[in-house]
Amino acid sequence: MKRSILTVAVCVALAGALAACNRGTDAATGGGAGPVGIDLPRADSDFWNSYAKYVPQQAKDLGINLMPPTNSQNNVNTLVSNVQTLTNQGAKAVVMAPQDTGAITTTLDRLNQKKIPVITVDTRPDKGGAYMVVRADNKAYGEKACKYLGEQLKGKGKVVEFEGDLSSINGRDRSQAFGDCMKQNYPGITVFAEPTNWEGGKASAALQTDLTANPDINGIYMQAGGVFLAPTLQLLKSTNHLFPAGDPRHITIISNDGIPQEFEAIKQGQIDATVSQPADLYAKWALYYAKAAVEGKSFKPGATDHGSTIVDVGSGQLEDQLPAPLVTKDNVGDSSLWGNQIGK
Amino acid sequence: MSELSAQLPAAKPKLQLARFRDLALVPAILVLLVVGFIVSPIFLTAGNLLDVVQQQTELGLVVLAEALILIAGRIDLSLESTVGFAPALAVALIVPASSHGLGVGLPEWTAIPLCLLIGALIGLVNGALILKLRLSGFVVTLGMLITIRGVQLGATGGQNLFDLPASVSYLGSATWLGLPASVWITGLLFAVGIVVLGFFRQGRALYAIGGNSDAARAAGIRVDRVVWTVLVLGGVLAALAGLLMAGRLGSVAAAQGQNMIFTTFAAAVIGGVSLNGGKGTLFGALCGVLMLGLVQNILTLAHVSPFWYGAINGGIILVALMLSRLTTGKAQD
Repeated sequence: MKRSILTVAVCVALAGALAACNRGTDAATGGGAGPVGIDLPRADSDFWNSYAKYVPQQAKDLGINLMPPTNSQNNVNTLVSNVQTLTNQGAKAVVMAPQDTGAITTTLDRLNQKKIPVITVDTRPDKGGAYMVVRADNKAYGEKACKYLGEQLKGKGKVVEFEGDLSSINGRDRSQAFGDCMKQNYPGITVFAEPTNWEGGKASAALQTDLTANPDINGIYMQAGGVFLAPTLQLLKSTNHLFPAGDPRHITIISNDGIPQEFEAIKQGQIDATVSQPADLYAKWALYYAKAAVEGKSFKPGATDHGSTIVDVGSGQLEDQLPAPLVTKDNVGDSSLWGNQIGK
Repeated sequence: MSELSAQLPAAKPKLQLARFRDLALVPAILVLLVVGFIVSPIFLTAGNLLDVVQQQTELGLVVLAEALILIAGRIDLSLESTVGFAPALAVALIVPASSHGLGVGLPEWTAIPLCLLIGALIGLVNGALILKLRLSGFVVTLGMLITIRGVQLGATGGQNLFDLPASVSYLGSATWLGLPASVWITGLLFAVGIVVLGFFRQGRALYAIGGNSDAARAAGIRVDRVVWTVLVLGGVLAALAGLLMAGRLGSVAAAQGQNMIFTTFAAAVIGGVSLNGGKGTLFGALCGVLMLGLVQNILTLAHVSPFWYGAINGGIILVALMLSRLTTGKAQD
C-alpha cells in the first residue's frame, strides 16, 4: 500500500516536471528573432566570463529572443547533450564554441539534418558544416607575437613559448604560425615550445627549468594571458628575473587574450604587449549571424562592413575573421578595447 | 629501516626482498639521473634539482595525504578539489569584491588558518558520510570532488583570484636558509609522517586497519576514530598544498588542482602504496613524487616535441616501473 502511494506520488511529480518543460517551450517562442540557443564553453576563464556577460546585452540590441544559455564546462559530451536540450526546447539556431573541434562533427551533422543552423565562436569545427564561424584569426595571433618579439629582440635571443592545448585548433594555429614565422624571419632566435594544456602550473614549472638551463632567455610568448600571466610574473619575481621594460635585463613578454590584468601589467612595464581577443565582437557577430540564419540570409566570401573578412576556408565553410588588435604601452588606454570596458 | 619493514604484512617467505620494498624506485631514479645528465649539462646542478623539488612540493603534500588514506584502506578523490577550493574560499573571504572576493572582508592574517580549517571541514564531512552513514568512500569523495569544484566556480564567478593576501604569496615564494619554504614544509611533514607511521602506535594502527579492519577493531584499535582523523588530516594537507600552489603561481586559478588526482595516484602507486590498503611506505610515495618530477624536468630540458610529450612521459614512467620490478623482484599491487 505504502509503495503504491509512493509510486503515484513519483508519477505525479514526473508529470508535473514534464508539464513544466512543455511550458518552457511555449515561453521560448515569444517575441524577437529566434529563439536562439547558446552554449558557453566554460565558466572558469576570465575571457569566457566576459563573453558570457556580453551575450544577453548584444541579444537585446539585436532584438533576438535568446534562450537561457547552457554551459558545457569544457566537456564535449556535455556540449552535445546541451545542444540536444536546446533543440528539444525549440532553438531555431545554435551558437556554440566547441573546444574539441573534432568530436563535434556528428552533432553538426544531426543539426544540419534538422535544418538548424550553427554558428561556432572562437573555434572552427574540423570538418566544417557550420553556417558561419566567428573567430579571430588565430594564425595572426601567432604571427603578430612572432613579429613583435622578433623586432624587439632584434632577431637574436632565446624565447619560451607556452603552447595551449594542441588538440584544439586555436592552440595548433597559434603554435604553428608562431613557429613558422620565427623559423622564416628570425633564424637567430631559439624557441623553446612548452606544452601546457592551458595550465598555469605546467607553464611555471617549464619556465623555471628553462631559466635555470638558459639564464639568457630574453623573450616569452604566452598563448593565453588569462592562465599564464600570474604564474609567469610570480615566477620571474621569485627568481629575480622581473625587471621593468627599458632595463637591459628585462624579458620581453607578449601575451594573447587582452584581459584587464594584462593591461595593468603592460602599464607597469612588467609585460610588453598582448593581442586583444575581441570578447565583445565574438558575442555581437555570433548573434548577428544567428539572427541572419533564422531569417534565411546567406553570405559570400569577401570584406564585410565591420572591418573583417569572410573567408571560405574549404568546402564552402565560411569564416568571419575578426580583427584582433595588438595592444602595447602606446594604446593600452584605448577605451574601445573590451578589457578596458569591463573594469577589473 | 629493517625494523620498520619487518612489521609489514609479508605474504611470501621472501622477507629479505620485502625489506627493499620502499627502496624499489631508487634504481629507477638513479637511471633517470644518468639520463638527465646525458640530456643536459644543467640537469645535475643544485639549482635545477632544487627547482624539481620545489615544483613537486604541492603534489608531494597531496600524495602524502592520499598515501595515509590509502594505507588506512580508504580512498579520497576530493583532495584535488580541496587544493583549489580551500585557498579560493579563504582568499575570497578576505579580498574585497572588486578583486572578485565575496565582500566579507575578513582580516588578512586569517588567510592561512581559514584555508586549513576549510580543508579540515571537508575531511570531516567526508568522514561523517563514510563512517556514520556508511556510504561508499569512492562515491562520497567523487561527489565531494564535483561539489566543491562547483562551489568554487559559483562563489568566485569563475574568475581567477589575482590579489592574494601577503601571507599566502609569502608561503609559496619565500626562502628559508637557502631553500624554498615549501621544500622545508613538505620535507618536514614527510619526515614526521615517516617516523609516526614507522615507530608510533597511532601510525602502526593505520597499517593494521588497512590490512584488516575487523582484526584491528578486535585488537582494540578505535578504527572509526583513526580513519576519521586521517581523512581530516588529508583535507588539511591538501589545503596546505593549495596554499603553496597559490603562492607559487601568484593567483588562485578557477581550475586549480584539476586532474591532479590522477598524478597523485600515479605517484603513490609507483611508490609502492597499495590501492587495497595496509601496504606501502611514505618514503616510497615520496620517491614516486620525485620520479615524476625528474621525468618532467628531463623532458623540458630535452625540448621534446610538444605533440609527443605525453607519449614519451607515459612511456618513461612505464619503463621505470618495469625497472623497479626487475631490480627488486617484488610484485606490485
